[in-house]
Amino acid sequence: MLAFAGRRLIAFVLTLMAAALVIFLMLEVLPGDPAAVTLGLNAAPEALAALRAEMGLDRPAVVRFLAWVGGLVTGDLGLSYTYRVPVSQLIAERMAVTLPLALMAMTLAAAIGVPLGMLAAANHNRPADAAVMVFAQAGLAIPNFWFGLLLVLVFAIGLGWLPAGGFPGWQAGAGAALRSLALPALALALPQAAILARVTRSAMLDTLQEDFVRTARAKGLGEAATVLRHALRNALIPVVTILGLQFSVLIAGAIIIENVFALPGLGRLVFQSIAQHDLIVVKDLVMLFAALAILVNFLVDLLYGVIDPRLREAA
Amino acid sequence: MIEAAIPEPTARRHWWTSPSFLIGAALTLTVVATALLSYVWTPHHPTQMAILNRLKPPSSANWFGTDQFGRDVFSMIMVGARNSLAVGLGAVGFGMVLGTTLGLLAAMRRDGLLDNAIMRSADFTHAFPAVLTAIMITAAAGPGMLNAVIAIGVLNLPYFARLARGSALQVWTRDFIQAARGHGLSNWQITLRHVLPNIAGIITVQATIQFALAVLAEAGLSYLGLGTQPPNPSWGRMLNEAQTFMAVQPWLAVFPGAAIAVTVLGFNLLGDGLRDALDPRVRRAR
Repeated sequence: MLAFAGRRLIAFVLTLMAAALVIFLMLEVLPGDPAAVTLGLNAAPEALAALRAEMGLDRPAVVRFLAWVGGLVTGDLGLSYTYRVPVSQLIAERMAVTLPLALMAMTLAAAIGVPLGMLAAANHNRPADAAVMVFAQAGLAIPNFWFGLLLVLVFAIGLGWLPAGGFPGWQAGAGAALRSLALPALALALPQAAILARVTRSAMLDTLQEDFVRTARAKGLGEAATVLRHALRNALIPVVTILGLQFSVLIAGAIIIENVFALPGLGRLVFQSIAQHDLIVVKDLVMLFAALAILVNFLVDLLYGVIDPRLREAA
Repeated sequence: MIEAAIPEPTARRHWWTSPSFLIGAALTLTVVATALLSYVWTPHHPTQMAILNRLKPPSSANWFGTDQFGRDVFSMIMVGARNSLAVGLGAVGFGMVLGTTLGLLAAMRRDGLLDNAIMRSADFTHAFPAVLTAIMITAAAGPGMLNAVIAIGVLNLPYFARLARGSALQVWTRDFIQAARGHGLSNWQITLRHVLPNIAGIITVQATIQFALAVLAEAGLSYLGLGTQPPNPSWGRMLNEAQTFMAVQPWLAVFPGAAIAVTVLGFNLLGDGLRDALDPRVRRAR
């Protein structure tokens, strides 16, 4: 297991480095003069010179890249040009919205998708199966930001049960904060739930045909115990994989959904930073999003080894 | 005689009558026909404003109502279909042509380095969803339809490369490849004459599914203002603008979203139907 984890760790670090390089090239080398991009066409030469000095643009690109990566490791992400506060402070504040939103969405997606997939597999080729597949097709086809708007139309504008947008902050109480996150999390969870339902159904159908399931039934184990104790554990491997792989999609979705619901999270921050040409913040945030996705993939890889010991040897 | 007594599975003979394929094909054809029709006819000019006629509900004059500038929503959705399909075609075409070429090359050469590069780049792009790539491109070069095509296309490339590589490797083990070698055909000739035609089906299926994803991604980018730019109508942008007036005119938020959902559903179902036809294992599992 240790050798398996070691190999995965090396791949994880290399992928992180490659991501950092791509982001640096895209946002600091390709635009030519990042200071000019930040300040716009009509910037005064003195302001440009001051910002160039602040961003350290007089140094060679290699030195700047290494300094940036060093800063990422030590947590010194630089100063936002627009907000004039350390980027790490901005991220910490906004993370308090995005992280709970992503976790709520993932939990909702698993809570809806996995049982639906199991239900469909247990009722293969019956109406319940067909109904779940129709739900899955609809969930994949409906854009989550449109679903968010429809939720606002019904639950905020129509029924007035939940807020249409905004975030009162955690200091207003967990209840009020969670109420603000309920509709965005549901909108974010829909496509994920649809994917999980399909994957769980397909994995369960495969597993239910395995010999060990027949053995479990033959030794007199009840259907529920067979499904829950034997089939589900084995069917979980592709489900966990998809959960991991979909994390980056979830993050991308959060960028849009936070804008739909005017939530002051990381997604909204990156979008505002683009509008304000604050390349320092954009660069750090894109790296953060990419690093999160890479980290989750790494953890999923490790989890494989725990769930299925055969994969440790195979890898 | 014995062979004649064993009927071919009905599903194989009539895969094109499967509900997935039929509904998918009907929806896709409707969207494509709407996009093509918009070049020669729309009920109203899609960008012409009529302030006195603003925020009107659906009627016989304006089938889907009018927006905050009095523009006809139905005409805008017709033209929006054009832009969505154009971005989808560009992005999937880019990913498919480049990705398939790389995959075929990797399978032909059995090149460890190229193989590794393809597999790792596929893992790598999982860290960069289209929105993130588009954000980087927009931050560096500004928003626009072409940048959206590039952002979504880059994401598509490794999918096709991996698929083409895996499928081509299987074809290379078949007997007719040995026969082709025996005839003195070069690796390139075998790839173009025998391997590519054999994997074309599966690549087409993947392209259909990726097309649906591309339409969704384009809508998301346009919603954020990173995709198609005004005055060009786009479904995502229409939804963004509808949000402000949703309490007064809810219809504004319904029709463009439904257009996206119908298009994505059409391509997804079409892809499912085609996959069923090409892959007997999937057909049996259903």
